Amino acid sequence: MGRDTIPLILLKEGEEGIIHAVLGGLGLISRLASMGMTSGMKLKVVRNIGGPLIVTTNGTRIAIGKGQAQKIVVRRLTAAK
Amino acid sequence: MAGIDILVALAGQPNVGKSTVFNILTGLSQHVGNWPGKTVEKKEGFYVSDGKGIKIVDLPGSYSLTAYSEEERIARNFIINERPDAIVLIANASAVERSLYLLAEFLLLKAPIIVALNMMDVAEQQGIRIDVGLLEKYLGVPVIPMVASKNQGIKALVSAILSLSEGKKEYIPSMADIAEDHKDIFMELADILERYITPPYLTRWTITKIMEGDPDVTEKMSRIVPPDSWGRVQALLRQHEDSLLAVVRGRYDWIEGAVLSAVSEFKRGQILLTDRLDHILTRPVFGIPILLGVLALVFSLTYGLGLPLQQLLESLMNSLATWLDPLFGQSPWLRGIIVDGLIGGAGTVLTFLPVLFFFFAAMAFLEDVGYMARAAFVMDRFMHVIGLHGKSFLPFCLGFGCNVPAVMGARILESGRIRFLTIFLTPFVPCTAKLAVVTLIAAAIFGKNALIMSWALVAGNILILGFSGFIASKLLFKKQDMPFIMELPFYHTPNLRTIGTVVWRRITAFIKKAGTIIVLFSVLLWMLSHIPGGNIEGSILGFIGQSIEPIGRPIGFDWKMIVALLASIAAKENSIAALGVLYGVGEEGIRGILPSVMSHASALSFLVILMLFVPCVATLVVMKQEMGGWRWFLSSFIFMLCLSYASGMAVYQFALMVGI
Repeated sequence: MGRDTIPLILLKEGEEGIIHAVLGGLGLISRLASMGMTSGMKLKVVRNIGGPLIVTTNGTRIAIGKGQAQKIVVRRLTAAK
Repeated sequence: MAGIDILVALAGQPNVGKSTVFNILTGLSQHVGNWPGKTVEKKEGFYVSDGKGIKIVDLPGSYSLTAYSEEERIARNFIINERPDAIVLIANASAVERSLYLLAEFLLLKAPIIVALNMMDVAEQQGIRIDVGLLEKYLGVPVIPMVASKNQGIKALVSAILSLSEGKKEYIPSMADIAEDHKDIFMELADILERYITPPYLTRWTITKIMEGDPDVTEKMSRIVPPDSWGRVQALLRQHEDSLLAVVRGRYDWIEGAVLSAVSEFKRGQILLTDRLDHILTRPVFGIPILLGVLALVFSLTYGLGLPLQQLLESLMNSLATWLDPLFGQSPWLRGIIVDGLIGGAGTVLTFLPVLFFFFAAMAFLEDVGYMARAAFVMDRFMHVIGLHGKSFLPFCLGFGCNVPAVMGARILESGRIRFLTIFLTPFVPCTAKLAVVTLIAAAIFGKNALIMSWALVAGNILILGFSGFIASKLLFKKQDMPFIMELPFYHTPNLRTIGTVVWRRITAFIKKAGTIIVLFSVLLWMLSHIPGGNIEGSILGFIGQSIEPIGRPIGFDWKMIVALLASIAAKENSIAALGVLYGVGEEGIRGILPSVMSHASALSFLVILMLFVPCVATLVVMKQEMGGWRWFLSSFIFMLCLSYASGMAVYQFALMVGI
């Protein structure tokens, strides 16, 4: 993990990021890819207050468990509002 | 009916309106069953156009065609083995990128595809404009814009199906490539493997799947390919661990091309209704109280509207019984079987129909507008405590109506173990029938404390559900994290046709069970309680009850209560009828007589055990069917027996001690 990349779970609500990598089994990678979450894709965190997160990507809103959000590495795009 | 001339498969990701399209096309001709040997629903139906019979098979909804879920495996095997004349891929116009990902997978299978671009109105509202002509040109497949919820575009879709299957139009689809930097590896792999790939499998598809690390294809090829060649394949894959990403990247490059050429967005960044609602509904502080409020509303609506109707049906059943009674003057057996067994047993079950109807209608409404996904989201954190995740919340909710559709509803859970655990816990959700028994007995025994007692019992029941889940998940799954990934669909106006179909399916599932298993069991129970001797005391059931009476002592049961509990296996409300018969009163008089024959402690123990005891036979049958093997089913059965007995004993002894 590079210096400017962080796990998705550290993005705050309203922040945007670009997916850098998904660290996980082939199953998780394929599953996320089919929903539009793969390296290079832009996403925005809508909800992140403990518990699962909600992110939007390409017009789709996806709820994602904390465990999985730790395995998605992103590059932060905007500072928190 | 015309013969079947054309076989069409309907495919699409979840939340794209696939079932709406299916319902419009097939209407009442649809047939719902299971895919052979699988616990995945198979829906088929027919459509007749210009004298041609079109058979439509609804493939399970899936985001892609990997081998990681049963649904996806079924969909791709159907395409490979059945070779349908046309595949209609329903896409969501407001999320084209994602929908096209599945298209890329289907095109790899060289299947004749039509893209039905649904929800054009939603896309328009969100400021997304799609040039259908340009998209068609880029993809090389017919694209039909649709608004299925308003019945728009169906005719165009049907004529596209007809002309594609007749081969009238030229059909040269474009295809996604592997990312540039991995094309060499693809060629090398193809070089080694090509000669071993035989129809119906295609070279390009097989190699791509090998690069994706697809477990099924990899396993299949490893058995066919000689060891030295297979060793080379594995070495290549090890060197290029990112092959899967190269495949995915290739697909998204292709998708980006399509989007760039045909999709334009205006009104960017507008705040949608969904954003506003989710801002409140997915925040636990508001979301959970709102969820509780919504559920309270559902229950008060269900019972407010359903109970009067149930009572009406009940009195109708009673008059039917009284009317039939004299017809069997000469034959007490026939009378017993038909009046007591059939009408008294299965008939009583059917009186629950209005309650179930309103309940299922309310639930289907909440599902259809998109609320249930939010409920699952806010419940996720609590469900984790018991080793499940948010998605199990929906089947549990259904369980408050009837456990049968709840067990079947566990199919929405993709992971096998989490599905098993959900089914395992479902019987601990008190269904309408259990609630009816609890309310009646509590009212008879506890007088003005009845309401508090009933609430305490239901709350205790739910706590036990949580506790069992906690223990079971700790014992069975250890620390394993259950992945929770779920799309939250946009809120939309309810579609009556979709809601109607869902309610219809759940209700008919219930009626079928009541009409077959419960009828058989009710009659069997009546016979067991009348053979030999003609009365319950001298019958087989009475004999069983009397001979196991000693095990009833620690839980405060006499043999009559044991028999009533056993009768509840046919259907929970049977236990009331059994108590009525055993203590020599009609069902009407049970309120008067119960307090004199049943102590408070015994009654409490009876209710606790009834709630935790093995569910009705209809639920048991679907549990066995959905769990597949005997191992899970039997362990669940034994667990319920032990838990109910232990809890009953604890409650009884405690009640005696404090002198309730």
